Amino acid sequence: MGLSASELARKTALHALNRLGFGPRPGDVEAVLDRGVEDYIRKQLDPAPDAALESRLAPMQNTLRLSTTQVLVTYADSGNLASSVQAYLDNFQNAKIIRSVHTVNQLDEVLADFWFNHFNVNINDGFVRYAIQSFERDAIRPHAMGKFADLLKATAEHPAMLYYLDNYLSTAARTVNGRLVQGLNENYGRELLELHTVGVDAGYTQADVYDAARAFTGWGIDNTGRGGNFRYLSTSHDTGAKSAFGLQLSAGGQKDDGERLIKYLATHPNTARFISTKLARRFVADNPPQSLVDRMSEVWLATDGDIKAVVKAMIGSSEFWSEAFSSAGKPKTPFEYVVSSIRAVGAEVSSATRGVGAYLSQMGQPMYQCIPPTGYSDSGAEWLNPSSQIYRMNFALDLAQGLVTGVTVNVRNFALGADLNSPSSVAKAANSEVFGSTFAPSTLAAASRVDTRITNPSAAVRVSALLLAAPESQVR
Amino acid sequence: MNMPFDPSRRIFLRGASAAAVGIGFGPSALMSRTAQAAAGQKVFVQVFIRGGVDTLNMVVPYGESAYYDIRGAIAIPRPGQTNGALRLDDTFGLHPALADLMPLWSDGRLAIVDAVGNNDLTRSHFDAQDFMETGTPGNKNTPTGWLDRVLKMMPGSSVSEAVAFQAQLPRSFMGPEPVLVASNLTSFNLKVGTNWRTEAEAALRDMYGSRQDAVGKVGRETFEAIDTIVRSPVLTVAPGNGAVYPNVSIGTSLRQAAQIIKAGLGTRTIFVSVGGAFDTHSGQLAAHQTELPRIGGSLSAFARDLGPLMDDVVLMLVSEFGRTAFVNGSAGTDHGSGKAVFVMGGGVRGGRVLGTWPGLASSQLYQTRDLATTTDFRDVYSEIARKHLGLTDMATLFPGYSPGPGVGLLA
Repeated sequence: MGLSASELARKTALHALNRLGFGPRPGDVEAVLDRGVEDYIRKQLDPAPDAALESRLAPMQNTLRLSTTQVLVTYADSGNLASSVQAYLDNFQNAKIIRSVHTVNQLDEVLADFWFNHFNVNINDGFVRYAIQSFERDAIRPHAMGKFADLLKATAEHPAMLYYLDNYLSTAARTVNGRLVQGLNENYGRELLELHTVGVDAGYTQADVYDAARAFTGWGIDNTGRGGNFRYLSTSHDTGAKSAFGLQLSAGGQKDDGERLIKYLATHPNTARFISTKLARRFVADNPPQSLVDRMSEVWLATDGDIKAVVKAMIGSSEFWSEAFSSAGKPKTPFEYVVSSIRAVGAEVSSATRGVGAYLSQMGQPMYQCIPPTGYSDSGAEWLNPSSQIYRMNFALDLAQGLVTGVTVNVRNFALGADLNSPSSVAKAANSEVFGSTFAPSTLAAASRVDTRITNPSAAVRVSALLLAAPESQVR
Repeated sequence: MNMPFDPSRRIFLRGASAAAVGIGFGPSALMSRTAQAAAGQKVFVQVFIRGGVDTLNMVVPYGESAYYDIRGAIAIPRPGQTNGALRLDDTFGLHPALADLMPLWSDGRLAIVDAVGNNDLTRSHFDAQDFMETGTPGNKNTPTGWLDRVLKMMPGSSVSEAVAFQAQLPRSFMGPEPVLVASNLTSFNLKVGTNWRTEAEAALRDMYGSRQDAVGKVGRETFEAIDTIVRSPVLTVAPGNGAVYPNVSIGTSLRQAAQIIKAGLGTRTIFVSVGGAFDTHSGQLAAHQTELPRIGGSLSAFARDLGPLMDDVVLMLVSEFGRTAFVNGSAGTDHGSGKAVFVMGGGVRGGRVLGTWPGLASSQLYQTRDLATTTDFRDVYSEIARKHLGLTDMATLFPGYSPGPGVGLLA
């Protein structure tokens, strides 16, 4: 059963919107068709300034632009902590939802989300809450499509990471009267290898972990109460010789021990493979084909870990567009589901932290609150379970009715050109104008059976609620 | 058109639950079901502490002077001293923040197996949890979790029942057997205005019911769960015997686990995932002071709540690895190996620390840094599977491993 040329084109446009971004807004499929998928992809790979987004964020810039020191001085050190810090935290999280929903640079935003999750820190972990805004803004975002080595170094030096993985406490062994009073903390050294670079199956040993941790002794924070800046303390550095996963560091090294290890790991073949696999898992399929991972790894090594080049190779692959992966659909994570639903219904976000945040917590993916350094799973199948599902349905039902705080919905945006008094007209319009005509006839029929005698909420609103909660909306 | 309940699509809690569904299921039926549960269907509860909790400070080897040498400032003082351990025997004492467990210990209903682990050492949280949950350490490609395999081989029924208190399906249950997964059952229901609830539910049941893929399956499971548990009075039953659960996630999960067990729905395995400040690379004493009372209080409330029904329940509490025997440079401990496992319930030969204690002298430590492993965790798992759940095919349950006779955990 073949698709017609126009059906195929719509499906391709939808696939690009679903996989490079957080899914279509009403009219997006048509817009991509008008200018061509290649042009859409080119613009996604070369993000231009987004003035409309900036004006949406403008009311929050008073806290969004604060340095960690300013956040600490304003909120942690002022004595009136609890109530005022919440405004900063709300703005920070709200900005992420607004960016994800409204930016035209969707791929850049998806990659920022991917890299934050890859270099996870937990907002509830003490000092991290004050440094997390700078971590995302200054360490993650600037490098989302840059060189991986720069990204890795920026995270390694960032106080949020130094605190979260305890490296700020890690020093050369110091004994007083023969008793250890300060010394090595392995946490960062281990996760650097296991999660950030070469991956757990790379074959490193405990001795490699130990020496990787030693290479970063002295990398710390000037003052977690009033400063919040990176500080290297040479007196805390272990200057002995080190051997970490094949890299020999001779005795006498200082901060360059860690810097050399970062450069070495960033372009290691295991890193290329490990992170190419993760990227392909996020963008293509839960179990990405080895052929694709191999090609991305080759590009990684040929370009010294140039993220944009690797992503470009992925998008240009036949696997990315293959029927096998696109028609099966990849289950959305809770965050992807929430953002894509808000986009699909054509809603506007003003201040959604409290409203949206609670739903995400129920679905098992509270924003910025992943406790372990592994981050949240990029595998869609892991998010499919009854618990998450009931809250997804409830979110869709609430969203369509305009019950999600901070999100403004007008069903006319969703049902472009439809007769709002006719359920089947609403379902048909949404399927064609929003979803690229990909919903099953049985799904449209089920939604179209709503009782028009019930007026509050209106039939059109109830149709939109059911389509947002439908099976097709769970995958991308 | 309105089909609030369609028996042909039942997935969850088949077996005993048919009468427990829908409007006709009242409190009196619940009481008679409770009696049925008391008639002896065995239930296994696994509590998994994620993060690698430091059991050397939970089960304190105060009888070994080496403990005080290597633990330094984070050592728990000897019994009788200020904030000292609670004496279990001549060698071991319980962390004082676990005082709630002492009555269970004294009554012989709580046992501890120490120095448990496996030989495929990984100090990765993720891999260590994976190995504990698949039951196949060293092999990451095992498609099923060990509890999925337990469910599959339950005698007398092709379908068994399972509940997992976690936001995502735990690795332990991965596989074909159906599982109800929810972090909290009380909010597990469709939230929609009464004037279109029937319509909304019918439409969604239609949409998901006609799909054969994974999304359709999870949608159908969702509605089955609503039918069997949420719309029954199960979750309205108050804790028995004056039990009070700590108002934290482990407390809520175990309270709901007890409600499900008391309802006699035929549930055989329950999994409770616990997160918290357990990865104590720094500031361990303070973190334990907060976290351990939650564990002790919840386990104790669970046993009290179930009363005599506890005779048919075995609860095992594990974490992915032990931590370094030595205190690290920041008043914490790093990722290690051997650990203690807590087991309580009916048939448990409690009041003793089981397993072979390897000692803490430098030559006795694994890689001169961790408590060594002397009991493979699969020997503990299999003893429970055999003696409590009555399973026999250990070769299928633990591929590539032949469990020994066990450590004498159960009668």
